[in-house]
Amino acid sequence: MDMSCNYIQTFFPNHLLKVCPLLPTKKVVCGLVTREKAATTTDSSICSKTSSIMRKPLTKSLVEIETDHKLNKVVNPGKFGKFGGKFVPETLVACLNQLEVEFNFLLQDSEFQEELSTALRDYVGRETPLYFAKRLTDYYKNDNGEGPEIYLKREDLNHVGAHKINNAIAQAMIAKRMGRKSVVAATGAGQHGVATAAACAKLDLECTIYMGTTDMEKQSSNVLLMKLLGAEVKPVEGSFKDASSEAIRGWVGNLESSYYLLGTVVGPHPCPSMVREFQSVIGKETRRQAMEKWGGKPGVLVACVGSGSNALGLFHEFMEDEEVRLIGVEGGGFGLDSGSHSATLARGEVGVYHGAMSYLLQDEEGQILGTHSIGVGLEYPGVGPEVSFLKETRRAEFYTATDQEAIDAYHRLCRLEGIFPALEASHALAFLDKLCHTLPNGTKVVVNCSGRGDKDAATVFQYKQHLMQQ
Amino acid sequence: MAAAATTTTTTAGTTTSTCRVAKPYSSLAAFSPSQLPFKFNKVTSRSNNSIRCTLTRNPFSVTEMDGKTEFDPALWQRPDSLGRFGKFGGKYVPETLMYALSELETAFYKLADDREFQEELFGILKDYVGRESPLYFAERLTEHYKRPNGEGPLIYLKREDLNHTGAHKINNAIAQALLAKRLGKQRIIAETGAGQHGVATATVCARFGLQCIIYMGAQDMERQSLNVFRMRLLGAEVRAVHSGTATLKDATSEAIRDWVTNVETTHYILGSVAGPHPYPMMVREFHAVIGKETRKQALEKWGGKPDVLVACVGGGSNAMGLFHEFVNDKDVRLIGVEAAGHGLDSGKHAATLTKGEVGVLHGAMSYLLQDDDGQIVEPHSISAGLDYPGVGPEHSFLKDEGRAEYYSVTDDEALEAFKKLSRLEGIIPALETSHALAYLEELCPTLPNGTKVVLNCSGRGDKDVQTAIKYLQV
Repeated sequence: MDMSCNYIQTFFPNHLLKVCPLLPTKKVVCGLVTREKAATTTDSSICSKTSSIMRKPLTKSLVEIETDHKLNKVVNPGKFGKFGGKFVPETLVACLNQLEVEFNFLLQDSEFQEELSTALRDYVGRETPLYFAKRLTDYYKNDNGEGPEIYLKREDLNHVGAHKINNAIAQAMIAKRMGRKSVVAATGAGQHGVATAAACAKLDLECTIYMGTTDMEKQSSNVLLMKLLGAEVKPVEGSFKDASSEAIRGWVGNLESSYYLLGTVVGPHPCPSMVREFQSVIGKETRRQAMEKWGGKPGVLVACVGSGSNALGLFHEFMEDEEVRLIGVEGGGFGLDSGSHSATLARGEVGVYHGAMSYLLQDEEGQILGTHSIGVGLEYPGVGPEVSFLKETRRAEFYTATDQEAIDAYHRLCRLEGIFPALEASHALAFLDKLCHTLPNGTKVVVNCSGRGDKDAATVFQYKQHLMQQ
Repeated sequence: MAAAATTTTTTAGTTTSTCRVAKPYSSLAAFSPSQLPFKFNKVTSRSNNSIRCTLTRNPFSVTEMDGKTEFDPALWQRPDSLGRFGKFGGKYVPETLMYALSELETAFYKLADDREFQEELFGILKDYVGRESPLYFAERLTEHYKRPNGEGPLIYLKREDLNHTGAHKINNAIAQALLAKRLGKQRIIAETGAGQHGVATATVCARFGLQCIIYMGAQDMERQSLNVFRMRLLGAEVRAVHSGTATLKDATSEAIRDWVTNVETTHYILGSVAGPHPYPMMVREFHAVIGKETRKQALEKWGGKPDVLVACVGGGSNAMGLFHEFVNDKDVRLIGVEAAGHGLDSGKHAATLTKGEVGVLHGAMSYLLQDDDGQIVEPHSISAGLDYPGVGPEHSFLKDEGRAEYYSVTDDEALEAFKKLSRLEGIIPALETSHALAYLEELCPTLPNGTKVVLNCSGRGDKDVQTAIKYLQV
């Protein structure tokens, strides 16, 4: 028993772990403590002693502990209602647990937080402005001159041009802390791949990005960027879902020196929570900026939803503020009835995918359906479990916008504000067409401009050519 | 009085007489300057008991006599009331434009004091452009340039690449558009080479709802069709220029012609610190925010000033934007890096300050690349933004005064630097900026340990990816 105590002492950081040896079952029940709350699941009558533990650096080898089910609920359950969880092979469980421990520690570690904060400010370019889009606002005014006020949260101004880097830089820093030498990631549209490659270059980590061949064709400029940044790009036959699976396979073979950098709020616990936490800087800044600008909160938040990272990044801060409406907009492709879309929440069913229970687009036999959207970053057939939860509880509303509507919104923002939105973000902007005339005069609407659309100019060009030819 | 040997030399615009007075006048105090007919500029005392002095009519043309010239930049007029920086600059334009230029100058001075205008501009720079841009400590780049004993300078990047539209260009474009609006002008024209300034101008016109016409050389339009498409998406009209070599200088001439014709309704957004007064001064002032922020950030970060500032020089706007704040700080070294293209002796380069001669181009006197007949030589650089045969008059002045140093790097060196920053810091710099970065190779080994170097990362390199991949074979 003492040996197991020592074992845990070696690997767990101080002030995080109160260890109570549990004699009868030769199992250790432990509580992970954060500064705000004390671990109390253990029965005090059997806790004969608690030991204070000196922090030693986490080693490279995996910590194999049995985690009590109750423990999960207290600290970070990984479940959002019935969604989420950890549906992974046994080999990965311990690894995920280690990641969770490290993550929880780093949330409180002021040195890490300061380093991250500096990187976000000096490298990424935060904080991003909350920009009052006057001409867009005027466009949506009715004949009486009434209408909502539209603000854009400018995630397009981030280094490498999208919100993805908020998460990539933080996780790359975690990888470095954990002593990993290389990073593995999968990317759909390429934004996450580019962000990861950039972060790895900055932190001197080897980087391998898996990308589907169909995506590589559509987003060739992003492929070039990744290569220039020193990453190895491995093509995988198919699209993002195939690239993901291949990436995980690649990672599992090299668990000790490699770190899998997930780009969005999907996957097994703790990934969705971790990614959301790093993206939540968007919402935190928005709250403060809204207070500075109009002395209140936003009335409505609008964001596009592929897997949900930029949406959760904006929404999370306001989840408890019931009066703030949360609206997610998915890729409607050629229309919901065409069968060619990516509207997971509109047309999907609950299932398990990539380690978590969530909505996903599947056929009657439970096979994953192919998806389509002109915003390649929205083409994920699943969606983050926390997003599914928001839908189920009706805390957030979800709609769709078609390819054509997104392209029109792209054009509109270019003309009216001189900003090229990413085609993904254009879906959120497209929804303003349906939303604005329903809102009372002066409602403050904040749209997450999650990325810049320079990468999409060629796509829009080809779309126009294609239309002209018809 | 012992016989004084006098030699007289004349350079353009000034007459310099050199007087050598032999002993016994070893004491300067005995010499009374007011008795002389010329303005007495400077006296140096040589160790061998003679006094050597420079007498000039024009107080700004002190030519170097021996070794370092002592000067006080704080006394310089940059520019003077006629828009000259020493002999450079000025207003060499057709009569029709004189009024417009004066009107512009008056408006500019008035708005400099207009609190409402300044606040509006500040708000737009903050919320629309995304200022202030960070001063980023490039740790891996610094490490790379450390000498074997672990010593080396500290390298900081001023992140103008993070601005909206991806370069410093927008600082000036947005301010000029706001100024045009104040002047009641509804029509904006601009010239563009590769398209960056065109896109920046079209962007601000979309933002302010102004009509926008961009002149672009027909040859450039072919090479940069995506930028042309972008400008059109932003609602601008792109007019092809077929005259001359159908490149930037011809587009500029065409834009000036348009302005002459439509001067009452139209404002010309010039993209750099070139052109007739008040443009060099105005564009510099609008970019000066770069240097102002840098001063503040340097103080916050290390409690002092930068030691060396490095920037690429095409027309010279990003360099002036960084340098201007520090010109009067003599302990801050200013280094501009031009494009040597295929090499300075190849004839295919854009190193105006190194290989050019003084002349008048686009309304200002400055150094420019010209042949023996005074015709403009077509410049070359792998980076379109440095591909300008002239240079801002203020740079010509700073060079002649010895206040700033100018060097050049080749296409290949720039490409290497492009790759290096991408790999070491995960920042893909514009090919223009890469020229400044390439100069670090020569500079860093010469700098004492701990020297603070601030390099203007004037733009991002997404636009250059295709070019780079072709050459780097990645």
